[in-house]
Amino acid sequence: MASSQHDRSGKLIVDSIHGDIHLKQREVKVIDTPSFQRLRQLNQLAMAQLVYPTATHTRFAHSIGALGTMIRILGAAEESDIDMTDEEKDDLRLAALLHDIGHYPYSHLMEKLDKVILIEEEIGGAEPVSRSIDAGKSKYPDHEEVGALIVTCQDDLVEAIGGKERAKAVADIFTRAQAADPQLSKLIHSSFDIDRCDYLLRDSHAAGVPYGQIDLNYLLNNLRVSPQRMVGFSDKALPAVEHMLLARFFLYRVVYYHKTIYGLEEVCRQLLRRLRDRDGEHYGIPVDGEAVKTLITSARLHAFSDGFVDNVIRQAVDDEDEIVRVLAKSVQSRRPPKLIREVQVCEESGRKHHDGTAFFERCRSNLKGLSEEFSIPLGQFLLCCPAVTIMKAPRQYRASEITSLNADELRTRGHEEEEEQIWIFRDKKLEPESFWDMEHSLVGKCAKYFVQSFRLYVVYEGEDRGNVIARLREAIDDWDKG
Amino acid sequence: MDRQQIGLKLAIDGLGLRFEINSFRDRLIMQKAVYLAQAAGINLGYYYHWYLYGPYSPSLTRDEFAIATDIASGMDASEGWKLDDKSAQRLEEIRDISKESDRDKDKLAKKLELLASVHFLVDRKQVSKVDAGLIATTLERFNKDFSEADVEKALGELTKYGLLAA
Repeated sequence: MASSQHDRSGKLIVDSIHGDIHLKQREVKVIDTPSFQRLRQLNQLAMAQLVYPTATHTRFAHSIGALGTMIRILGAAEESDIDMTDEEKDDLRLAALLHDIGHYPYSHLMEKLDKVILIEEEIGGAEPVSRSIDAGKSKYPDHEEVGALIVTCQDDLVEAIGGKERAKAVADIFTRAQAADPQLSKLIHSSFDIDRCDYLLRDSHAAGVPYGQIDLNYLLNNLRVSPQRMVGFSDKALPAVEHMLLARFFLYRVVYYHKTIYGLEEVCRQLLRRLRDRDGEHYGIPVDGEAVKTLITSARLHAFSDGFVDNVIRQAVDDEDEIVRVLAKSVQSRRPPKLIREVQVCEESGRKHHDGTAFFERCRSNLKGLSEEFSIPLGQFLLCCPAVTIMKAPRQYRASEITSLNADELRTRGHEEEEEQIWIFRDKKLEPESFWDMEHSLVGKCAKYFVQSFRLYVVYEGEDRGNVIARLREAIDDWDKG
Repeated sequence: MDRQQIGLKLAIDGLGLRFEINSFRDRLIMQKAVYLAQAAGINLGYYYHWYLYGPYSPSLTRDEFAIATDIASGMDASEGWKLDDKSAQRLEEIRDISKESDRDKDKLAKKLELLASVHFLVDRKQVSKVDAGLIATTLERFNKDFSEADVEKALGELTKYGLLAA
C-alpha cells in the first residue's frame, strides 16, 4: 500500500498499517521537534496493554498513520477533480499529522477529569459532601484546544511549521476555528475521517482482535466529491461504510470498554480527581484549566506524558489518605477492581426505566449500607455506566427534515450535527444523500439503539478476598429488579 | 450523567431555558446559549469550532443527547446538585439576553447565532480588529445575512453584558 504524492526531498516511513508513507521536508522537521516527539511517550490505548499485552502503540505512530491516511484521501480527492492549491493540501497534511499533538497523559483518562463523579457525590449523604459544581473554576481544555496552543506557542513547532501565521492556519484546520471549507476540514474529524480510519485499523492490529479491520482501500476507491464539494461514497460502498460503523462499535465493546481495562482506568480517574480537588498534596497535577494551559505552553510540556501520571501514582501509594493509597496500589500493582455486578442493556433512546436504571437507583440508595456492612470504605466502590452507539451522536430527528431539502439547501442549511454524518452518492445523482436516509441499511436502522453496561466494582485487597467478593455479589444479586 | 453534564444541565436551568433538543432550532439555541454563558465566565468545559451556523461544539451535542436520554429514562442526576453562588449570580445577570425574544424561538435562535458568531470571530482572532463592517463582511463570506447595523447592535449587547471589553 504505497502512498501517493511522493516527495523525494523528504523521508520515507514504513508503517505497519499503511505501508510506505512519504514525508515532505517540512513534515520531517515537525516530527523531529521535541514537542512532537512527546507523542512517543503517550500510549494510544492508555491502560489497554494491561489486558492486551501488545497494545503498546503510541500517539506518535497513530499521528504518522493519520498523515498516511490523509495522503491517500487527498489522492482520492484529486481523482474527483477537486480544486485545491498545493498549500491547502500541505496544510491539510500538517493538520492530520498534528491533530493529536494536544493529548494528555493517558489521553482521555486525564483530559476528561472534570467529568468524573466521586462515589460520595454520586450517592450523596454518606459524608458531609458538597454536591456543588464550581463553574468559576476553569475546566481542563480538550485536547484539540491544547493542541492549538501547543502548535501556536511552542517555538520548536512554530519554527518547523514555518512561522506563527502558518501554525495558526494549521491549528485552525484541526480545531475548525474557521469554515474555510467545512467539508474538507471534516476529513480530520467526522464519522469518516483520518483519525478513525487509522485508529480502528491500528488499535485492532495492536490489540490482536479482528473487529477494527475496515476495508479502507475499498472506501477510498469509492470516495467521491460532489460539485458542491460534499465528500461521500458511492452507494456500492455502503456495506463497507456499515462495516466501518460497526467496527467502531465492536472495538468499544471489546477493547475500550473491556471490564478490566475500564475498571483500572476508572480507578485511575477516581484517584486523580481525588488528588486534584483536595486541599492537600496534588503531586503536581494541574489544579484547573489555566494550570494546564500554563504547563503545556512551557518547557514542562515534554514531561507531560504517561510517565507524569505514573509518577503521581508512585507517590500516591504512600499517601496519608487510605482510599488514595488503595486506589494507587491497585493501578501500580495491576490488581484490577473486581466487577461485582454488571447489568447490560440494549435499548432505544428514551426508554424509561429499564434494568440498568433500576440497578443504578438501588446502588445509589443501598451502597452506603453495603459499605458499612462489609467494612469497606465507600471510596473503594466504583459505579460507572459506559454506553456506546453506532454513530458518535444519536440522530433522532433529522431524516424528514433533510429529505425535504435539495442539494443547494443541504449545503447552505445543513445541520451542524452533520459533521457526524456520512454521505452516500445514490444512483447517478451529483449530490449525495445522508447515510441515515438509506432505507435499505440495516446498520442505519439499528442506530436508534444504544448499548450500555451498568457496572459496580470494588477495589478490595483485604483478608479472605475471594469469600468477601462472593458475599458482595450475593448481597446485590437482586439489585437490578425494579 | 457525568459531572460535566450535570454542570451543563444546571447552567441551562440557570439561564431560564427549557432543556429541549427536539428540533434543530432548539439545539441551535442551546449551543449558542452555552457558548455565551462560557463567554460570560461560566466554565462548563466545551470547546467550540466554527461551523455553518457559527460556533459549534460537537461534544456539547453529544452531552445534550446523553442528558436527554437520561431524563427520558427517568434519571435526572442533576437533582440535588447546585452551581456555585458566583456562577449562579452571573447566569442571572445574562439571562435577559434571551428574554426579550423568548416567545419567538426563530427570532431567539437568530439573535443568539449572531451574538455567538460575532463573539467567536473577535475572541478567536478571526478578524483583525473589532469593526462592525469587517465582521459583517466576514459573516457574509459564510452566507450569513446579517447587516453591519445588526453586527453593531450585537457588539453593543455583548459589551453591555460584559462578554466583550468596552
